[in-house]
Amino acid sequence: MTAYLVTILILVCIAIILGLALNLQWGLCGMVNFGMAGFFALGAYAAALVALSGAGTLAGIVVAALICAATCGATALVSLRLSDEYLAILTLGFGEVIRLVTLSESWLTGGSLGLPGIPRPLWGWVSEQNYELLFLALLVVVVLALFLVLEVLIRSPFGRAVRAVREDDTVASTLGKNVTMLRVKAFAVGGAIIGIAGAFHAYYLTYVDPSQFSAIITAYTFMAVIAGGRGSNKGLLFGAATIMCLIEGSRFLKDIVQVLDATQLASIRLILIGLGLILFLIYRPQGFLLEYRLRSSSLLARSSLNGATRMHDFKQEAS
Amino acid sequence: MKCHNRIDLRPSRRAVLSGAATAGAALLAAPFIARAQAAEIPIGVLLPFTGSQGAYGPDMRKAAEITTKLINDAGGILGGRSFKLFFEDDESSPTAGLAATKKLLEIHKCQAVIGIWGSPIAMAIKNVLIQANTCMMVSGAANAITDGDTKGLVWRYQAKATDWGPGMAKAMLSRGWKRVSILAQQNPFVIPMIEPAKKVFEAAGGQVVDSVVYNPDQPSYRAEVQRIFGASNPPEAVMCLGLLTDFVSIVREVVRNGYKSKVMALSIAADAEGKFIQAVGPDVAEGIEHFQPSPPLGSPTYARFQKLMGADENALFLFAGNTHDQVCTLALAMEKTKSTDSPVFTKAIREVCNPPGEVVGDVVEALKKVRAGSKIAFAGAGSDCDFDERGDQLNRHFGHFRIEKGKQVLVQVIKGPEGTL
Repeated sequence: MTAYLVTILILVCIAIILGLALNLQWGLCGMVNFGMAGFFALGAYAAALVALSGAGTLAGIVVAALICAATCGATALVSLRLSDEYLAILTLGFGEVIRLVTLSESWLTGGSLGLPGIPRPLWGWVSEQNYELLFLALLVVVVLALFLVLEVLIRSPFGRAVRAVREDDTVASTLGKNVTMLRVKAFAVGGAIIGIAGAFHAYYLTYVDPSQFSAIITAYTFMAVIAGGRGSNKGLLFGAATIMCLIEGSRFLKDIVQVLDATQLASIRLILIGLGLILFLIYRPQGFLLEYRLRSSSLLARSSLNGATRMHDFKQEAS
Repeated sequence: MKCHNRIDLRPSRRAVLSGAATAGAALLAAPFIARAQAAEIPIGVLLPFTGSQGAYGPDMRKAAEITTKLINDAGGILGGRSFKLFFEDDESSPTAGLAATKKLLEIHKCQAVIGIWGSPIAMAIKNVLIQANTCMMVSGAANAITDGDTKGLVWRYQAKATDWGPGMAKAMLSRGWKRVSILAQQNPFVIPMIEPAKKVFEAAGGQVVDSVVYNPDQPSYRAEVQRIFGASNPPEAVMCLGLLTDFVSIVREVVRNGYKSKVMALSIAADAEGKFIQAVGPDVAEGIEHFQPSPPLGSPTYARFQKLMGADENALFLFAGNTHDQVCTLALAMEKTKSTDSPVFTKAIREVCNPPGEVVGDVVEALKKVRAGSKIAFAGAGSDCDFDERGDQLNRHFGHFRIEKGKQVLVQVIKGPEGTL
């Protein structure tokens, strides 16, 4: 039982990391990324190849983050004049390109056979039976670190400027913000986080192949962000956990329901997952939590305590 | 107004907590649901019921259920213990397959995980099962599944991918087709067939004119079909290596354009438990030939299996027979060693399956003979169930068929030592 829960929690953690990335790119900056699965694959393959070459699993994570950041940044740069729907199409196409490259360049990626035997981080520190617990602990640390970094980022001048771009890029640019650079930066940082998620996916499965990176990953990530409340990282933690509980928890349905056979229940299960999400969106369209907002009341309270420094902040917010 | 709205939208802590609690309830309830009786032996069956491979799961499930009932009704094994099957859907995805496998191991405490149709799924769960010292029986063909240190726990009920190509090439040569082209899906079990097949054609003085590898799930295969079938000097025949959905589109495209080259496909696509003819109709399917590692057609075990499945003597079960054999060999090996412990009973699989010994196909009879201490060589409904020391198949049957008036007509059965013909 414990090991099954550990597996689910590991999958939840990876989903949360992906969700954090999308929450930055789409939730905060308003840039739709339909190529999540492709960038995720890129990170997984990069980490797998580096780790398999013997350079170490940490190097794998770093390289995966850098490559994904560079590719995401480049995608944002290419889509300079594209926004909303057009960016969605571009990222969708880009994700598909990555999938096809992993499928076709078999000298590098093993083609459809994939790459087996990927080394795992901290392997050998504990016994094989307890390894997954250690892996989960490592992932929780990574999730917490990323969560804190992003929370600070959201509250920083950069975070406010990025949100201003999301709300109205003309206004932001009129106020002297470099909209292009802000978009490229936000997308690249999101890309780095997707790369980290990809690396941990590769290390956990110890095997990557193109069939793991289907478009459903993009869909699940969007669901997690929407369920959590777009822009809210705290909400995302609930959102990702809810989606995974819905997906995995529904497996227990057939242990209770004896009327239908396994084949019928398998199909009904997927319908129920969809139904659950639709109902959730009808009754809680705003998600679990709202995004962080700077409030004038709290600002005024603080400024009365420490007027000079807070006024400085306030000016930055206004600009 | 706007401000008022915002206040309305803020969820109460209660709402958040109750949402999370509802979602988690299923997980928490798990251990109480799944506690099996001590006397039952839990066996996990991981199959594709949904997704791109969803068509192949249901017959395998039926075979597993029927075979288990047969064994349990005859008194079970190990002095009255019966098998209890736990089915999980791998959703045709390695990640979902992995989570499902963990559930089978941790919640249901399965002593073995069988079924396992797709090679990528087998690759993703292999390490987990080996680490848990649990027997794994697969129907996947990718060579890599049995590679590496498997602790003797991984058993394949399907011919290895590299053994398929030469067999298919020889079957095509036997029809007099020497100028051929290859149209193949990018897929871990298809790709390794191509090179060995080419070698056989070249050695026999034939020629592979062109070969194209396409991606699965394409909306259309027009460009690929035009290049291969519509070449200025079209090949005598085309080797189509793909799965059901893409092969249906390809055949429709070929017929629509009136191309004349013969089609030789994998049975997995051109039969698919009858689904191909259902999809395109008997007129379009007429004359298509197909080839695949097949059940031992005409053998008494296979005939009995067809009857068990409620099918007529023409029915071709490519994978369901494998699942039947997996359940049977599990029972026999456990009975032989008096153990349900994977590292122990897997040692006896070759002993109860490989010759020498009395050939027995009926699992109930085979169990009696094992209890009596006589040496048997179990012959299954999916294959003869002979294994080498790595858990790969020996003495595999390959069937070559032609579709005539909506029926599968057997052209020839080829049985080869080491699967190489």
